[in-house]
Amino acid sequence: MFCEKGNALLRATGLSKSFNGVPAVASVDLDLDIGESVGVIGPNGAGKSTLLGLLVGSLKADEGRLIMEGRDLTRMAVHRRVSAGIARAAQIPQTFGRLTVAENLRLPAVFGAGLHGAEAERWVEEVLEMCGLAELAGTDAEHLGLLSRKRLELAKAVAARPKVLLLDEVGAGLTEPEIEQIMELVRKLRDGRAVMWVEHIPFALRGVCERLVVMDKGAKILDGPFEEVWADPDLQAIYMGVPDDEVA
Amino acid sequence: MDRHMNLILLAGGFAAALAGAFVFEPGMLFLLTEVMVVLILAQMWNLLAGFGGQVSLGQQAFFGLGGYLLFLGANSTQIPLWVWLGVTPLIVGLLAVPLGLVVFHLKNAYFAVGMWVVAEILAAVFMRFDFLGGSAGIVLRPGGASMTMNPERLVFFIAAFGFVAIIVALRLFLKSTTGLALLGMRDSPDAASACGVDVRRMHLMVFVIAAMGCAAGGSLYYITTLYISAADAFQMNWLIVMMFVSIIGGLGTLTGPIIGTLLFIMIREAMTSAGFSGGTYWIVMGALAVVVLLLAPRGLWPLIRDFHFRKTGRVTR
Repeated sequence: MFCEKGNALLRATGLSKSFNGVPAVASVDLDLDIGESVGVIGPNGAGKSTLLGLLVGSLKADEGRLIMEGRDLTRMAVHRRVSAGIARAAQIPQTFGRLTVAENLRLPAVFGAGLHGAEAERWVEEVLEMCGLAELAGTDAEHLGLLSRKRLELAKAVAARPKVLLLDEVGAGLTEPEIEQIMELVRKLRDGRAVMWVEHIPFALRGVCERLVVMDKGAKILDGPFEEVWADPDLQAIYMGVPDDEVA
Repeated sequence: MDRHMNLILLAGGFAAALAGAFVFEPGMLFLLTEVMVVLILAQMWNLLAGFGGQVSLGQQAFFGLGGYLLFLGANSTQIPLWVWLGVTPLIVGLLAVPLGLVVFHLKNAYFAVGMWVVAEILAAVFMRFDFLGGSAGIVLRPGGASMTMNPERLVFFIAAFGFVAIIVALRLFLKSTTGLALLGMRDSPDAASACGVDVRRMHLMVFVIAAMGCAAGGSLYYITTLYISAADAFQMNWLIVMMFVSIIGGLGTLTGPIIGTLLFIMIREAMTSAGFSGGTYWIVMGALAVVVLLLAPRGLWPLIRDFHFRKTGRVTR
């Protein structure tokens, strides 16, 4: 397998989660390393978002363990995992409507990244710049359009300075040029961390990720170099024989 | 600019409280003290529900406890009444910690009703046991002797200046990073914890502060009445006042509850002096609440603020 290395940044073993007896994620093993960007695809209900929820701690795993840099995060609450270095940009932007864009980023900069005073201010400015939000810094988040809100959601995750950045369909609902802007941004974010991106839009993942994970019915079916997995007959079978270019 | 504003508020509040305490006659001071107490209570409920997102229907529990602890403490010891006035909120704050840890297991509506149950239990306990006053209640007799002074002037001064100090403290708090976390939680607790904020700890902190504020309100109010009973101290009306003035004025703003309180007192005094008996003003308050919530669901102050913004393009917070 692609990920059988000794000391992964983040290692999940046997992660499982059921809702009312129906397994959503079934015994998933996953290693993530610094500098990696991993795409995750799979049909609706494959357990992709649930897996992210288990990693970020918004869902509690029924079984399995989560180790990051030798620390056991399995029972750790969401806010402590953020400090430990895991942050997620959620599928539906969870922005603070009555705070300005800059204030939205100050929260993860202070409480996630643990920065103070001028240092936090500088980092917020940097993230604003990086995510193309500098001009909107003083705007209340509730007045933002969808693309800006998606950017802000991403920026909030980045502002926490995570070592593991999880992206949950940050491209969903956007137009193609807008998705390209998000791709550009994610490419900039790869350095020095692991990025894991769940998305239904194959061209976005293909442009950014060098590794691809395929999930189906809660299980991890495939995991390996992007093009290799992409060409795998099993993947084609999951998408019911639809050829590559039509999926894209 | 903000720092100057806070200093001006404190100095102005001090001067106004002092002047008021000397100028007004006792009847007026009694009313104004009640106004200050309602302002404090409203600001505390607003902090808890409006900023912290924890709607509690049992804050009268802390109000009553504040009154009772002061009476029981001052009556049965030689420690001066004014020391008890300072100590009581601290004791209630300490009691609120374990209580919070228990009731936080209840969420949303269950938490709200759970707190109401707590208040009802306290009322029943204080009514049941004679050493707590029983159904007869307690008369304030500091150190076992009758009150030799009229406390209105000093109580009004403490309540009025205390209220201004609370507003300044809240302004400073909301400017801090911890305050920013609370403002974030107002929009989405989940998003706040995803930013690394310990939402549970923040909830507990706000719960304890609100308990202390309500206790201080109870202590101040019952010093002026000199008599406390469980039926009065733990009654739901205290909660309804806090909720009404906060919601009508604008939940989650510092100015809203002040506007709500002024409206409440004006309506009550106007109707009482016009000869409407007892609780008739509640009907008007209830109708007003319905109208406000239908026309301006966020309350009066956000409405005024938006109007001002459209007129001038300037944001007032």
